[in-house]
Amino acid sequence: MKMHARVNGSPFVAEVPATSSLLEVLRGAGLTGTKEGCRIGVCGVCTVLVDNRPVSSCLYLAGCADGADIWTVEGMAEHAPSVVDAFVECEGMQCGICTPGQIVAVASMGPDVRDERDVRHYLSGNLCRCTGYGTIVEAALDAQARRRDEVAPA
Amino acid sequence: MTESSGDAAFLVPGTVEAAVEALGAAGAVALAGGTSIGLMVGQGLLAPSVLVWLGRIPELSVLEEEDGGMSIGATTTLAALAAHPRVRATVPALADAAASVGNTRVRAVATIGGAVGHADPRQDLPPALLALDARVEVAGRRGRRRLAIDELIDGFMSTVLDPDEVITAVRVPLVVGRRSCYLRYTPGSADDYPTVAAAATADVADGVPTAVRLAIGGAGPAAYLVPEAEELRGVPEGRWASATAEVAESAARRADPVDDRLGSAAYKRRMVAVWARRVLERCLGAEGALP
Repeated sequence: MKMHARVNGSPFVAEVPATSSLLEVLRGAGLTGTKEGCRIGVCGVCTVLVDNRPVSSCLYLAGCADGADIWTVEGMAEHAPSVVDAFVECEGMQCGICTPGQIVAVASMGPDVRDERDVRHYLSGNLCRCTGYGTIVEAALDAQARRRDEVAPA
Repeated sequence: MTESSGDAAFLVPGTVEAAVEALGAAGAVALAGGTSIGLMVGQGLLAPSVLVWLGRIPELSVLEEEDGGMSIGATTTLAALAAHPRVRATVPALADAAASVGNTRVRAVATIGGAVGHADPRQDLPPALLALDARVEVAGRRGRRRLAIDELIDGFMSTVLDPDEVITAVRVPLVVGRRSCYLRYTPGSADDYPTVAAAATADVADGVPTAVRLAIGGAGPAAYLVPEAEELRGVPEGRWASATAEVAESAARRADPVDDRLGSAAYKRRMVAVWARRVLERCLGAEGALP
């Protein structure tokens, strides 16, 4: 099929099998910021946004992404700059493999995710094997606070 | 729209009628959120000749209240269900079950129709919907029909649906004053499947139950109802502890679990008794329902 979409704000066209994964399509197009991990939707390193919803791109079929608005970690500085800033300033990373998925997952949080318990529940499907999660949770809380301030400046 | 890709075609019907037509093709498989189908295709467990994606059918995404019930379109996502204020206020068991499935990314795209149609006995929604006495609305070449959860699911990952039938909505009765609860037991990771799950509804008038339903998941080839829960009708609060314990033992006797990584069959059977009692106590409002 010819898949037409927007990726990180720009038109995107690819000739791919409808049953290929969105992960394969994106990485095949050179967007290798999105990582491949477990390939069964559990680990979260392949998280991307499809029409503003976080999905495991390893499970998401290209056919379902046709016509969609897709954002990957490469677009986060534009799409969710406060989240990227929060991760940098809180050092919400160590080896970096899970980081693209963590940043995209946090970028998909709604305003209902407010306290540490909410954040830990929301991110429980994004695994990290280095940090012990402390600085990731800190970065997520910081990002949510920044976005609240952007909506309603003090 | 038809797209061929190798030997798999990917169809995107815009109406239920077009979906039914598309599903009439040999080897066609319906796909909604894709969290199970995408996994099975990716793992090579499923090689459909035709995939029929239901994500672009407006009728399937409607969620509305209507005379005495809530009609939930089949492609309503679990995240939308969990966050819906009226769902949470009226049928908390369904909101809690939806909020329990998998992880954030699963709930963002997985649908209520898929959760029942996949007929995986470890799924959270079937026991909750069974306790809530929901009906699954189905459309096919032979017309439309409504099925209870335990009529739809007839075994391990098996339903009575014809190949051309598609789930269009799930209808949940709304009864004033009805309480509903859903509990799941996951001794491993929180995003794992439940070892056992228990759902209950109770109508209580003047401190006495007038109707009680109990359903169990994870402990057999499909979620099952425990008819002995009706024996709680008319039982005064002073006898709830012993009466719920008896019903919970009936729930365990009705279990038909298998040994797997989530627990041995014997362990699951004991856990059915524990979690059935807890969900009944919580639903009836007894104190000390949870550890």
